Amino acid sequence: MITVPIEHVILMAAILFSLGLTGVLARRNVLFILLSIEVMLNAAGIAFVAAGARWAQADGQIMFLFILTMAAAEVAVGLAIILQYYRHTGTLDVDAMGGGRR
Amino acid sequence: MVRGDFFILLPLIITGGAAVAVMLLISFRRSHLATATVTLVALGAAVISVICVAAAAPRQASALLILDSYALFYMGLIFAAGCAVTMIAYDYFERQTDHREEFYLLLLLATLGSAVLVSSNHFASLFLGLEILSVSLYALIAFHRERLPSVEAGVRYLILAAASSAFLLFGMALIYLERGDMTFFRSTQIASGVPAWSPLLLAGTALLIVGIGFKLALVPFHMWTPDIYEGAPPPATAFIASVSKGAAFVLLLRYVTLFGLHSGSVQSAAIAAIAVASMFFGNLLALREEKVRRVLAYSSIAHMGYLLVAILAAGPLAAVAAGYYLVAYFTSIIGSFGIISVREGREGGGDAVSDYRGYAWRHPWLGGAFTAMLLSLAGIPITAGFVGKFYLLAAGLESSLRLLVVVLVASSAIGLFYYLRIIITLYGPPEAERQGAAITPAVSLAGGVALTALTFLLIWFGAYPAPLLRLIQAMVGG
Repeated sequence: MITVPIEHVILMAAILFSLGLTGVLARRNVLFILLSIEVMLNAAGIAFVAAGARWAQADGQIMFLFILTMAAAEVAVGLAIILQYYRHTGTLDVDAMGGGRR
Repeated sequence: MVRGDFFILLPLIITGGAAVAVMLLISFRRSHLATATVTLVALGAAVISVICVAAAAPRQASALLILDSYALFYMGLIFAAGCAVTMIAYDYFERQTDHREEFYLLLLLATLGSAVLVSSNHFASLFLGLEILSVSLYALIAFHRERLPSVEAGVRYLILAAASSAFLLFGMALIYLERGDMTFFRSTQIASGVPAWSPLLLAGTALLIVGIGFKLALVPFHMWTPDIYEGAPPPATAFIASVSKGAAFVLLLRYVTLFGLHSGSVQSAAIAAIAVASMFFGNLLALREEKVRRVLAYSSIAHMGYLLVAILAAGPLAAVAAGYYLVAYFTSIIGSFGIISVREGREGGGDAVSDYRGYAWRHPWLGGAFTAMLLSLAGIPITAGFVGKFYLLAAGLESSLRLLVVVLVASSAIGLFYYLRIIITLYGPPEAERQGAAITPAVSLAGGVALTALTFLLIWFGAYPAPLLRLIQAMVGG
């Protein structure tokens, strides 16, 4: 069996996290922002699994399950709110959002 | 889990059970009064249960939660704040006709999340508590789904809170990778043969600070605050400003105390910089705002900056100072948003400072209470805010944090301007066309009781702080 060094996994998680963060900052469509956040969360999940593997504990994988569950709950509530936003504005563009100083 | 664990977890069990009960109640019979009453009784019972289980503290209930006097004190504060917000929400939603019962369900869940947060002793419980709180808050903020600003605020908070959770999680993963344990105590202790601060640990702590910084709305993670304070229904804003931020702060204080922050280290320098920036930017940006809720949003950024001084000071006096300041801040900010909520629920109208012109002449009691709340936020003597700030200064001086203390005093002086501007407007000459528009009664029974109690507590804690101080010393000072 070939073992993957922990450093590589962490590096990949860090790259994924950065990609997700770039998506959150650069994307203007709310749905894509939400997708990018999912990428960030899963990057954290991979890091947890890698950390659990390093210490030979199940805790890392348990945290990953928690993250999956939480992400599902968050998306359920989030999509409902985004749907309301779409009904009001007819767009998913966050730039259309008015600041407080309209 | 043994029986003792279930006993000490009673406050959490009551709140969680009440959330289920309220959900079932709503599905069988929609009654605003009944829902609010059940919520209020449950939160009241939770406060009482905190007092009952205090004798059995401290106790570690599984690896996840620790119920020591520190956690129980803040739990009691959170449940009491939940009671006040429930009463204010009842007053606010009484005039609305559509889907108002779910607000209390979400409020109970958010309160439960905050209570888990203050008693968490493990990354998993931290994360779960934070998410129970956050996901309930998304819905609470976007509760007025027929109003665009409310929905927009919900979308904003959703994106920022979810992204900050990701930061927090990644930070926790890095710390776990380095230390091999997720309990607070062991993940902060230095194992033999391991360097005290490795790059991974530093990166993890930095990500953790970013995540918590978003929750506390500290500069430079504060951008969301004004829009959300403005868009959310006022009772929800009262909850975010007090309980949500307070719980995150209590958690941060516990974690940093365990870590043992050394003055002169990179971490304490970073927190000091964040504190100074929050105090100055919060107060300066509030000066140019024209809307009361946005002014209070920026002022809350400054208040969190003041509280960071207690974290940096560290030690028993700092813990007491933070406790007193949080009690004072909870009372004043819930009271302020209570008045805003009462006014908006009845009179409608804009949120600009000028819209409050002559409000104190139309409603002398409400105007007087609002004045007391604002004076407390500004830190004027004979209000709780003054005593809280006094202890923060004392704690800062004891740890010889001279720069931070000077900044605290200077930025408080700046803050005085915008609080006084609102107060002067309250007592300004009323506009002619508004004079006849006064609605009687000015406030419902529930809202009136809550606001009277908050004002009374505010002045009591300010004029005679000894009893509360002794309680806080006994609970968190040890």
